[in-house]
Amino acid sequence: MDADLDTDMDMDLDMDVPMEETGTDGATATTLTAGGSGNDGGAILDITSNKSSTPSKLTTSSIGTLDGWIERLGNCEFLSEEEVSKLCKMAVDVLQFEENVKPISVPVTICGDVHGQFHDLMELFKIGGPCPDTNYLFMGDYVDRGYYSVETVSFLVAMKVRYPSRITILRGNHESRQITQVYGFYDECLRKYGSANVWKMFTDLFDYFPITALVDNKIFCLHGGLSPMIETIDQVRELNRIQEVPHEGPMCDLLWSDPDDRGGWGISPRGAGFTFGQDISEQFNHTNGLSLVARAHQLVMEGYSWSHQQNVVTIFSAPNYCYRCGNQAAIMEVDENQNRQFLQYDPAVRPGEPTVSRKTPDYFL
Amino acid sequence: MEPEADVYPLALLMDELKHDDVSTRVEAMKKLDKIALALGPERTRDELIPFLVEVAQDDEDEVFAVLAEELGQFVPFVGGSKYATVLLPPLEILATTEETLVREKAVDSLNTIAKELSTDQVLQNIIPLIERLANADWFSSKVSACGLFKSVIFRVKDDSLRKDLFQLYSHLAQDETPMVRRAVGKNLPPLIDLLSENPDLSTNQDWEFISNIFQIIINDNQDSVKFLGVDCLISISKFFNIKNDPSHSQELLNSAIKLINDEAWRVRYMAADRFEDLTAQFANNQEYINELIEPFLNLCDDNEGDVRKAIATQIPGFAKLINDPTLLLTKIIPIIQNLSMDEIEDVRAALALKVNNIAELLTKEQAIQHLSPILLNMLRDEFPDVRLNIISNLKVINDVIGIELLSESLLPAITELAKDVNWRVRLAIIEYIPILAKQLGVEFFNNQSCELSLSWLWDTVFSVRNAAVKNLTDLTEIFGSDWCRDEIIPKLLQLDSQLLENFIYRFTLLTTLTSLSKVVAPKVIVDQILPFIVKLADDEVPNIRFNVAKSYPVIMETLRKDSENHTALINDTINPSLQKLCKDDDVDVRFFANESLEKCKSLISA
Repeated sequence: MDADLDTDMDMDLDMDVPMEETGTDGATATTLTAGGSGNDGGAILDITSNKSSTPSKLTTSSIGTLDGWIERLGNCEFLSEEEVSKLCKMAVDVLQFEENVKPISVPVTICGDVHGQFHDLMELFKIGGPCPDTNYLFMGDYVDRGYYSVETVSFLVAMKVRYPSRITILRGNHESRQITQVYGFYDECLRKYGSANVWKMFTDLFDYFPITALVDNKIFCLHGGLSPMIETIDQVRELNRIQEVPHEGPMCDLLWSDPDDRGGWGISPRGAGFTFGQDISEQFNHTNGLSLVARAHQLVMEGYSWSHQQNVVTIFSAPNYCYRCGNQAAIMEVDENQNRQFLQYDPAVRPGEPTVSRKTPDYFL
Repeated sequence: MEPEADVYPLALLMDELKHDDVSTRVEAMKKLDKIALALGPERTRDELIPFLVEVAQDDEDEVFAVLAEELGQFVPFVGGSKYATVLLPPLEILATTEETLVREKAVDSLNTIAKELSTDQVLQNIIPLIERLANADWFSSKVSACGLFKSVIFRVKDDSLRKDLFQLYSHLAQDETPMVRRAVGKNLPPLIDLLSENPDLSTNQDWEFISNIFQIIINDNQDSVKFLGVDCLISISKFFNIKNDPSHSQELLNSAIKLINDEAWRVRYMAADRFEDLTAQFANNQEYINELIEPFLNLCDDNEGDVRKAIATQIPGFAKLINDPTLLLTKIIPIIQNLSMDEIEDVRAALALKVNNIAELLTKEQAIQHLSPILLNMLRDEFPDVRLNIISNLKVINDVIGIELLSESLLPAITELAKDVNWRVRLAIIEYIPILAKQLGVEFFNNQSCELSLSWLWDTVFSVRNAAVKNLTDLTEIFGSDWCRDEIIPKLLQLDSQLLENFIYRFTLLTTLTSLSKVVAPKVIVDQILPFIVKLADDEVPNIRFNVAKSYPVIMETLRKDSENHTALINDTINPSLQKLCKDDDVDVRFFANESLEKCKSLISA
């Protein structure tokens, strides 16, 4: 099992990201969009200018709009730029009031990386049951690598706004301006919308995503792993998370770190975050009265993988990652008595493909 | 003021088309039709088109691709077909570009425009354009030329002029680059199909050319050209079948056999993939069909898995053409036997897709003796898709061998599949159960499949549980409300409480009872279903509570249809429960409870 983790790390290293070169202040974003579709772009683009000061309630008409969007997105149709702008503005008003450590009650189904594999996300709901009937917690990395990042993240954000108490979406290391420029989300937005406006709106929204969740005070959920600067969960609560993912420091570590066989803290080959050993996980769980740390971030062939003697579990929900890794995906159901069950699944049968055969080379195209 | 407003669209377009960013230029190009509409036909012809001729020579492929596509629908914008030829120069330039995508779009647009042109315009403009492209130095132009013949051939009534065109086409067929020869081979079948639609048009002289081109294609030294000969052969044979002219059949048969036995596997693959269509062309002569049996058997035994996979789906179709019960048993069944044990799983799965159709060609005894054992083995295949494909098409077998034998021999295998690790296999089986139940009858079903149908409700995969709910609902419709009251509901209500500690199974139970309430008698709802659901309104999990709220209107719907008056029940039980849920702590419970309350009110007043 640990061997799996080691070899598979190559797949998701992200160490070639030019961390230092791109600015963190969003300046690149503004210049990129200046030449876009032009007319009163400013009002549409700035999704944070009209933030509400209190949690707002959904009106009948906004519920109707959202249900319409969710239906279209469910068919893999992406929203227009104006609709994305409205959606992101609504989402800011939901997400800004969530805590850094979002408390979640059981039952809940916990999921890992999705990475724009939209059809596999729909497969996930076929396995685990549709939202809102089933409660979901997603641990980040909705965009990049797959071909449908726009549809995937729009769908999840729309579900979040429509059913804020039924679904939680945490931030992953790919929910960042820098990473999405390298791994596909930026290019996909450009291709689908003809400008970077939608990318700008979503990456601005990512700043508001909560970074961790605490299920029934027992399971600590986050995208990456632990940080040497965080000993207690209260310290996470004190962070200022509304910003681009920093290059270093506790917030960066929570989104980038990985468990390792070696004890103690180690330097991460990813170039961000740390590796942490079993001693660290045990101490953290003990200090905070936890039974488990659940995280995503690494490809695991079976879809889930225990480490540190069941102190840490890795969950990965993108089957056949990058359409070629051949891995299974998994989700973890936690019922109201804290019983856990893993459900593994394979890639969705894609529309237009026959149910019979695996992909055989099409020599005649 | 006015002239300025007039100039504006073109100036703006020019500006945007000079923008540094490709995506801006692409977006601008997509607005081309609006610009043309604003300019009007005359200025579009005089100013916009010359400008586009320049653009077509100096930009990126992304912009070219949009331009090539836009121009195809431009005929109305330049003032109708009378002026449509002004669109040809920019498209001719785009048809010579190196990028395949751009070229293809340009050729498509040229073909679209050609449809709207008069015969004179075709003769004076399109044909010279084809000649220029065909005689260019670079292969890209010649490839485009090949794609344009289909727009002109059938419009040329003059035999000698048509002869010139065929001469040009056969000249292209001998081009030194395979890309051009491939384009010739690819465009020949549609060309011939057009002649089949106008069977009196072509002369013997034309067919000499076609025959020569066909010979060149099937003797090409490149596989990727040669395999295109299969489709050409089918089209040629279709033409002569329409003409009722068997004089070339022997020749064509020889070519077919040559392609089927070709040493290049890609050619054999193509022949195998089109086998039914190919051999159907010789169906009016049983001797010819018999000559094809040997080559067919060779394909079934081919070294290449992809060839076997292709031919595996064609077996029932060809077996029908053979139309000989003895040959079927001595030749075809053994081949099926072999392929059903093929080492490649995709081959077996492909066979499973259609193999059941063989049953239609057999007597009941033959099917039982020869086909059933093979199918039974395939139902035990380790590869789930094989099993799934057999089961999805079980009805054909049922029609031939009858339900008793089917259930005796196949049912055990099906029960085994009901526990398959692949959830899609389980799902496929569940979806087949109501069809099976209809044919088996209630007694047989109660003994054999009732427990099985209930057990699927507790599957780990949501979609299987959901299908199980639908299955029980469908079965109740088949067997009736009393059956459901006696056989199903008591078993559901006496479930072991440990199972129900998990909210997933309480949820499934709630969904099942709600769904059943649509098909059972109102008394069953009043006595059994409603009391249980009302209890769940106090469940600790909000997801259960809002689904209770959602199920009330469904229940009311059935109660409303009853002759007996249930007003008291609605007022004393359902309404208070919904009112309480409307004040729930959870926002979603309140939302769905309010929604249901509205629905219930309108149901009562209706």
